[in-house]
Amino acid sequence: MRTSSLWRLTRLTLRRDRKGALLSAFGVAVGVGALVFFVGLGLGVGQVVRERVFPVDANLLEVVPPPVSLGGLLGGGKLDAATVQRLSALDGVARVYRKMNVRVPAATRYDGAFFGAHIRMGLEVLAVGVDPGLLEQDVVVGKFEDKGPGQPIPGVAATRLLEIYNKTFAPARNLPRLSAALLAGFTFPVDFNRSFIAATSGGPVIPTQVKLVGLSDRAPLAGVAIPLDTAIRLNQQTGQDAATFTGVTLVARDPAKIPALMAQVKEMGLSLDDTERRMSENAGLAVVLTTSALALLSVLICLLAAVNIAHALFSSVRARAKELGVLRAVGATRRDVQALILTEASVIGLFGGAVGTLGAVLISLGMDALSSRVLPPFPFKPDTFFRFPWPVWVGGLSLGLLASFGGALFPSRKAAATDPARTLAG
Amino acid sequence: MISVRGLSRSYQDGEASLRVLDGVSLDVAPGEWVAVVGASGSGKSTLLQIVGGLDVAYQGEVTVAGARLKDLNDRALSQLRNRDVGFVFQSFHLVPELSAVENVALPAFFSPSLGAEESRTRALEALSRVGMGSKADRTPARLSGGERQRVAIARALLMRPKILLCDEPTGNLDAATGEGIIALFQTLNQEGLTVLAVTHEERLSRVAGRVLAIDQGKLFEPGTPREAAR
Repeated sequence: MRTSSLWRLTRLTLRRDRKGALLSAFGVAVGVGALVFFVGLGLGVGQVVRERVFPVDANLLEVVPPPVSLGGLLGGGKLDAATVQRLSALDGVARVYRKMNVRVPAATRYDGAFFGAHIRMGLEVLAVGVDPGLLEQDVVVGKFEDKGPGQPIPGVAATRLLEIYNKTFAPARNLPRLSAALLAGFTFPVDFNRSFIAATSGGPVIPTQVKLVGLSDRAPLAGVAIPLDTAIRLNQQTGQDAATFTGVTLVARDPAKIPALMAQVKEMGLSLDDTERRMSENAGLAVVLTTSALALLSVLICLLAAVNIAHALFSSVRARAKELGVLRAVGATRRDVQALILTEASVIGLFGGAVGTLGAVLISLGMDALSSRVLPPFPFKPDTFFRFPWPVWVGGLSLGLLASFGGALFPSRKAAATDPARTLAG
Repeated sequence: MISVRGLSRSYQDGEASLRVLDGVSLDVAPGEWVAVVGASGSGKSTLLQIVGGLDVAYQGEVTVAGARLKDLNDRALSQLRNRDVGFVFQSFHLVPELSAVENVALPAFFSPSLGAEESRTRALEALSRVGMGSKADRTPARLSGGERQRVAIARALLMRPKILLCDEPTGNLDAATGEGIIALFQTLNQEGLTVLAVTHEERLSRVAGRVLAIDQGKLFEPGTPREAAR
């Protein structure tokens, strides 16, 4: 039978039992819709976790000194200038950015105007000096460089810190919500070698001002990034170690080089700080596992739909035995009959898959609209919890098709085996 | 046009084997109208189904429109049924949800050459030929028994077959309606169509060109000693 004839005959035969066809399609639509919904939810939440909660740059590798090192006694395991030189010479390294913590405590005591409100607070501050190149792309006011003693220190805060402030701290204390643009240029006092909770080195307290010049995903979450030269200067002024670094960020030429680089770094007796990466992976894994469990449930619904289609088609083939006999009498081959049943089921499956996929997307839009109205703001709350890239659409349609086609396989064989001589007798 | 030699057909009924046709031989010339008469269960419908290629589990030789049926696979047999043979059944076997014209056009779906437009045109022509042109869009439920059988005949004629195989074509019709259908067969036969009809009714066999009787699986000319014995 020609494809065009098969298509016309399928339309004709489906038209005769619209209710049954729609019922079967509904079953497929429920299964496919549930699957597409949960997969879309998993992809959407996963994207938020990867890109906003734990943003991990695939090209970066954080190198730190080993927690315990015998090599230190023998002159190895330290992150000094020579080691940084060796790291920058490793195969696959594009750039290195040094980091050095200010090794004395620091605290801020702020009592003044704060974007239309008045605040009075004291906070411990962790200051991390970094090579300016690591953050320069995120600096929006002035330059990220050491301006010398007595001058405000340029600081870069974590983007996530602003998100947490806006969604939890500000609403709880009735403070204004801020944007990155508003914060740029905000200056606050910081006293180095002063602490509310920890012991200090006993050296001089260095009162300074820190001026926020930008926000960055690469800045430390619990602190502020300052120029490396400033950190070195402050450590020298307070009599701390100003020669070794607390970390080095390696930028790989290619993310594929990362595993090899990791191995080389470990061979040098150094450690890797992959806390952020592991947290991102763990959170991502949790999302994937939850989504997979729900998707599995949806696949089971699809299987049930396939069984339902098989059952409906078996009944249909029995009820249509005479009709199938007539088709054979007027020239249908066994394969034509099988193709007819399979095509009918495929149309039902594609229709169900399309309705299910579209339904899932519409429900997700409704859920997003509802969440924006009903759910209170919380850190990293996205505009949408869902993501539906084209493979999800194709997958939804394919699953509908597969469920129906699978369900129709045995009934179509039974239909093809219909003996016209027997069904048309009498 | 039809040649049957030594045709036998048995059905398995549990342990027992029931022989329905027993060494039947038959020749039907092109343009001939042959009626096979016999009581219910005499094997006449089985004979028709074998000649039409619907039943292939037989012994013997059957040649239809120059093709030896044993040599044909499912595809070739289906082509033969589509192109060379038209079936008319006692129970009409129309698809209830389809209109008359859609029922008539069914064979065209399995033709390698007929498109949608041509199928419909031909179906309307076939309906007009049997006097049903004005009721083309009616479903079988809205047609009388005689009209349904006319639609079934139109379906059998759609592909312009060489042979019309009729299984009790007037069996479900009243006398007057049956006469109309018989007159239609006469016209079709006069136009050159070969007709092989099986029936247990006298009115159909009266107008056939040749009448054969079938009894207990054996076919014979009326008037032979066996027929006389009946």
